[in-house]
Amino acid sequence: MASKQLRDLVATLPNDGDLALRGLTAGCAEVVGVTGSGIMLMTDDVQRGSLRTSDDVSATIEDLQFEFEEGPCVDAYHQQHAILEPDLEAPKSPRWSAFTPAALTAGVRAIFGFPLTVGEIRLGSLNLYRDEPGALRGEQEADALRVADLIAIEMLSLQAEAESGEVAAALSSDGDLQDRVHQACGIVAVQLEIRPDRALRMLRAYSVGTGKRLRAVADAVVDHTLRLGLSGTPSRAHDDETRSDHES
Amino acid sequence: MSREALLNKTFVELADTLVEDFDIVELLTNLAGRCVEVFDVDAAGLMLVAPSGDLRVIASSSPAMHVLEMFEIQAQQGPCPDCYRTGLPVHVARLAGEPDRWPTFAPEAIAAGFGSVIALPLRRRGSTIGALNLFRHAEGDLPDDDIAAAQAFADIATIGLLNRKVADDAATVNKQLNEALTSRVVIEQAKGMVAERTETSVDLAFDRLRKHARRRNRLLADVAREIVDGTLSPLELDAV
Repeated sequence: MASKQLRDLVATLPNDGDLALRGLTAGCAEVVGVTGSGIMLMTDDVQRGSLRTSDDVSATIEDLQFEFEEGPCVDAYHQQHAILEPDLEAPKSPRWSAFTPAALTAGVRAIFGFPLTVGEIRLGSLNLYRDEPGALRGEQEADALRVADLIAIEMLSLQAEAESGEVAAALSSDGDLQDRVHQACGIVAVQLEIRPDRALRMLRAYSVGTGKRLRAVADAVVDHTLRLGLSGTPSRAHDDETRSDHES
Repeated sequence: MSREALLNKTFVELADTLVEDFDIVELLTNLAGRCVEVFDVDAAGLMLVAPSGDLRVIASSSPAMHVLEMFEIQAQQGPCPDCYRTGLPVHVARLAGEPDRWPTFAPEAIAAGFGSVIALPLRRRGSTIGALNLFRHAEGDLPDDDIAAAQAFADIATIGLLNRKVADDAATVNKQLNEALTSRVVIEQAKGMVAERTETSVDLAFDRLRKHARRRNRLLADVAREIVDGTLSPLELDAV
């Protein structure tokens, strides 16, 4: 059964869909008893970025999952059930070899992913994290599943009201749909005469290979302080100063 | 099955129903039936507000006439309309003590053999759309835990009601969302390609794409797609 806190949260949601979604995402961390929350948007098996995050650590979690294409939200989306990792530092079975160390560095100690679905429709995942290890209690997990259902329904309701061809403003305004990374893909595509989707693979590979955040790599490409070669390594930088910035 | 197990089973069933193809009247009728099974109540029903502002019965635990009449009679007067108007639960442990509150409803309910009644609001996002009505032969109130569980039933029923339309349209909306998100990616990629090819900033590249599309009365996403496909060269775009 839903906890009293969840029932209270649902009962006090405002009428406006955008505000209701904000209320759900802002309130769910406290209801479930975790440190922070985020929503990963994913459609047609393509990661789209994050829709809303409650704090910097949650934003980093979403970035890392976009960058490495792995993590609890990605698994929750594909497997369509809750993914629970109560102790990221000492997991029972190690997973997410790239995501885990970076998430630990960001301060994540326990992490949980819940699929966002309406019937057959899959919209992404709700991410919840804790800054100390600890499993969710049965009631907390049940609450998280119900919050995820409510969020998914609100997302679809909001998109149903959007202009044709547009992403509902309520779904794109507070999130991070990784625009900068896609701009960088266009730039790399022209520089190397390749397709933008291949450029994205190269940017991701460069990011993993150098240990630099994809966001920083994209910024450097857009600012022309970094230029990738076809091997996925920088072929040249504009001057020695920027070279040392990005290669040291 | 224990009461707790039956409660949990009902929640799971209700939650499952919400994400599958569901018939809303069947869902609510099952819910009313479950209330009678799970709680110490003898009849249960759900009433929804009609466009006229009157309440209408939509589901009942029993098709028996004396039960259905209990709802019909509450179109304007009774615990359900009170609950609907205030958005608050109505508990009457002794119907015989309320002859003035509901001069039509109270005597009829007593004559039908009921001693006490509860109405719980169907609330969503601060507004009330109807009430869950529980009748008991005996006088007295239900335990607090049962009231809380019944309110949770009512909350699930409300979500089901209001999301019926969303569920119907879900596939179409999802397709539109997916296309819109893909267009957005293509536009960002095209901005980068135009910026690099014409040696300008991504912001100015966006201006050029937008103006090019507007002057030709075309969708920005379509122009961007041609840039990414290579069917339109960034050099062919109108100068700003």
